[in-house]
Amino acid sequence: MGSFLNVTLFRYLPGTDHSPRYETFEVPESKQMAILDVLTYIQKHLDRSLTFRYSCRIGMCGSCALFINGRSRLACRTLVDGLGTKDIHIRPLPNLPVIKDLTVDLTPFFDKYEKIKPYFIAKEDREDFYRVPEGAKERILVDKMLECITCGACFSSCTMVTTNPFYLGPAALNRAFCLIADKRDGAGAKRLRLVNGPEGVWRCHGQFNCMEVCPKKIIPTWSIQQLKKRCVFKKWMGIG
Amino acid sequence: MKHISQTKADILILGSGGAGLLAALHAYDTDPSLNIILAVKGLAGKSGCTRMVQGGYNVVLDPEDSHEKHFRDTIKGGGFINNQELAWTLVTDATKVIHELENKVGCFFDRRPDGQVHQKAFAGQCFDRTVHRGDLTGIEIIARLRDQVFARKVRILEECRAIDLLVRDGRVGGVLLLDIRSGEPFIVRSKAVILATGGGAGMYKISAPSKEKSGDGAAMAFRAGALFVDMEMMQFHPTGLLAGNSQLTGSVLEEGLRGAGGRLFNALGERFMERYDPERMERSTRDQVARASYREIMAGRGTVNGGVLIDVSHLGAEFVERAFPGMVDRVKDIGKDLAREPIEVSPTGHFHMGGVSIDRDCRSNLEGLFVAGEDSGGVHGSNRLGGNGVAESTVFGARAGDAAAAYVSEVPFPLFDEDQAWDIWEETQRPFTFSQGEDAYALNQELKNLTWEKIGVVRTKEDLEQALGQLDEMEERAQQIKVSGSPCFNLEWNEALNVRNLIAVARMIARSALMRKESRGSHFRLDFPQTDNAQWLKNIFLKRQGAKEIDLYTAEVNFSRLRPEEIV
Repeated sequence: MGSFLNVTLFRYLPGTDHSPRYETFEVPESKQMAILDVLTYIQKHLDRSLTFRYSCRIGMCGSCALFINGRSRLACRTLVDGLGTKDIHIRPLPNLPVIKDLTVDLTPFFDKYEKIKPYFIAKEDREDFYRVPEGAKERILVDKMLECITCGACFSSCTMVTTNPFYLGPAALNRAFCLIADKRDGAGAKRLRLVNGPEGVWRCHGQFNCMEVCPKKIIPTWSIQQLKKRCVFKKWMGIG
Repeated sequence: MKHISQTKADILILGSGGAGLLAALHAYDTDPSLNIILAVKGLAGKSGCTRMVQGGYNVVLDPEDSHEKHFRDTIKGGGFINNQELAWTLVTDATKVIHELENKVGCFFDRRPDGQVHQKAFAGQCFDRTVHRGDLTGIEIIARLRDQVFARKVRILEECRAIDLLVRDGRVGGVLLLDIRSGEPFIVRSKAVILATGGGAGMYKISAPSKEKSGDGAAMAFRAGALFVDMEMMQFHPTGLLAGNSQLTGSVLEEGLRGAGGRLFNALGERFMERYDPERMERSTRDQVARASYREIMAGRGTVNGGVLIDVSHLGAEFVERAFPGMVDRVKDIGKDLAREPIEVSPTGHFHMGGVSIDRDCRSNLEGLFVAGEDSGGVHGSNRLGGNGVAESTVFGARAGDAAAAYVSEVPFPLFDEDQAWDIWEETQRPFTFSQGEDAYALNQELKNLTWEKIGVVRTKEDLEQALGQLDEMEERAQQIKVSGSPCFNLEWNEALNVRNLIAVARMIARSALMRKESRGSHFRLDFPQTDNAQWLKNIFLKRQGAKEIDLYTAEVNFSRLRPEEIV
C-alpha cells in the first residue's frame, strides 16, 4: 500500500462551461478499492464540485455505469486491481448527452426501450400462476436474459447506436426478446413487427460489444439473433 | 422576486421503490384520467431498496400454509406490538399482490420441479413461504413495475427531491421540491401526497440502504406534524458484509444463507448462537442474531476487523454457487469465496420498523397525506421478518394508490401558503451564503459514529441522553453547513440536506428509545435487558411540539386478533 492512483476525469457543465476538460487527481489506493470508492474519495476530499451518480453500490441498480479505461462498466463493481494500471481515465457513457461531469441523460436510451413496449401484456386473465417446471426449455434463454438493470453500458458501446440515431439498441431488443419468448405475454406478434425493420434487429451486425460490457453477463446479440430467426420464420410462413 | 414555479397534480407520489410504483399503477388504473406525478430523488426505479431485495417475498400460497400462520409469525417476530390490523392486511393482501405481480405486472418467480412457484425457507417462520427470483429478487420486481409505469400516463420527475410538505390548517396541499440537476426549486400542488421515500437506516456507520435514502420522508412528515409510532424500532441485519473502506461495507448477505443452514462463528471458532438461541440457532430472528453477533464482537470475540464469520461452505460449493450466485459474485469483489470459506460479517443498519402511524388505507393524521412502505410504522412491530419488507411496500403501496385515487375524486384543491414555501426555500439555499461553516461530510460521519455507538444495536439511558445532547448540538451545526460551487447537481448541497433530515430522524429514535425502559425486538436496553410484558405491551407515539420539541405518549397495543398468551 501507500501507492497512488492517477485519476483523470471528464469535467463539463453544459451551458456554463465553454467546453469540456479533463482534470487529473492523485488518489491514495486502498484495499479492495472499487472505482466508486475512488470517485467518492475525490468528491469528498479533493473536489466537491465533482458530480457522478450512484445509488445501490452493489451492482443492482445500474446508476453508475461509466466509461472507465476505454470500456463501459459499473463503477461499483469495477475494482482498481482488476484494471492492471494506476492510470485511470473516466468519462461519461458514450452515445448519451452529458448533464454534468460524469452524469448522462438516459432519455435517448429509455425512449428506445419504451418503443418496443417493454411492459408485460398478459395473454389472459388468470387467478393462479402458470405452471412452468423448473428448468423448462422455454425459460432457459429468457431467464438468462432477464436480469437487465438498464445501466446503458451496452447502448453506449454499440457502434450501430453511434452511427444510427434511430437504432433501437441492444437493451431494448433484449427486452423485446424476453417478452416475445415469454409464453404468458400476449403481445408478441405486435412486438415482433416493431423490431423487424432496418432500425430494429437488422441493424445489429453481431459485433458482440454489448455482450462484452454487460455487467449482468447478458448476451443481447444472442437475443437479437433469436428475434431475427423468428422474423425470418414468420416471413417463410407468410404471416410476417 | 419571491416566485417559485408551480405545477398541479391530483396525486403526487414521492419515491419509486415498490411502494411508490405500485401506488402509481393502482392510482392510475383506478382512474386513468387522474393527473399523477411521481417524483424520484434518483433515477426512476433505480433508487431505493426494493430493487436491492435479495431474499424474497413472504406470502401464503401453499394449501398447508395459512394467513393465520403467516400472521402469527409476523406478530411473534414483531414482539407482539405490531398494529394487528396492519399486519393482518399485510399477510392477506400479499397473496393478492404476488399474483398481480406475476400475472399482470409480468414478474417471473422461480419454480419448483412440478411447475409451481418455489418458496424458500427464511428465518423466524414456521413455513417455507418466501417467493423469490434467485437471490436478486428485487431487480425483477422493480424493473417490471417500472416497465408498467412507462405504459401509463404518469409523469415521472427524476432527480427531483422533496424538501418539505406544504401544510395549511393541518391539510397537506403540496410539496416543495428541488430539481437536483438544475438546482431550481418548484412546487407541486396536489390534492393528495403519497409519501414512499424509504427509511433512514443509512444514518449508521455500517448500513445497508442505497445512498439516496436519508430519512427524507420521516423528517418531512415530522416537520409537518405527522404522528409517528415506535420510532425506536430500527432493525439491524445480522450479516452485513465487511469490506474495509469500500462502499460495499454494510451491504447485506441475504437471509437465505442462514435459512439454508449457514453457520455463524466468532473469532474463537465457537458457534456462538448456542449461547443466545440454542433452539433456532442461526435461523433465529434478525434481531436476536444481530444482537448476538454484536455482543460477541463487543466482548472481544470478534475478528480483527470487528466482525463475526458466516460459513456456508459445508453446504457444498456447487449448491452455494447455484442457489446464491449474486452473493457469491459480490463476495468475490472483496477477494473471498463464499462457497468455500467463511466470510466476515457485521450487523448492519437495515430497516426502520417505526414510522408514520397509518390506517389500513395508509392515511396519516394529516389530511391529504398517505404514507406507504418504510416511511410508515406499525406493520412489523419491534422486528421485521426477512421477506416481509417487499411484501409491505407492495401491499401498502397498492392500497395507498387505491385510497388516494378515491380520495382525490371527492375533495377540492387545497389552499397552500406561498410564503411558507418561500421561507423553506430560503432556508434550503442558505448553505451557499456562508463563506465558512460546517462540513456536510464531516458532520454526516460524526452522525454515523454517534448513532452506531449510542442509538444502535445496544442502548443505555446514559448513551441515549448523551446522544440527544449531541444531536441537539449537531442540529444547530447543521444550520451552519457551508456549501460552495454551482447549485446544479451539487452533491455536497444534497449531502447537507440529507444530514439535516437524518439528524431529525435520529432524534426521534433516541427519544423513543429512552422512553421504552425494556428490551423488545430490535430495541435492546442494556440497563433493562428483559422484555417486560407487564408494563410494555405498548406503542410509543410521538409528534413534533412547537418548533422542534418532541411530544411522546404511550398507548396499550390493541390485540384485535391475537393475544400474546395465545402465541407459543
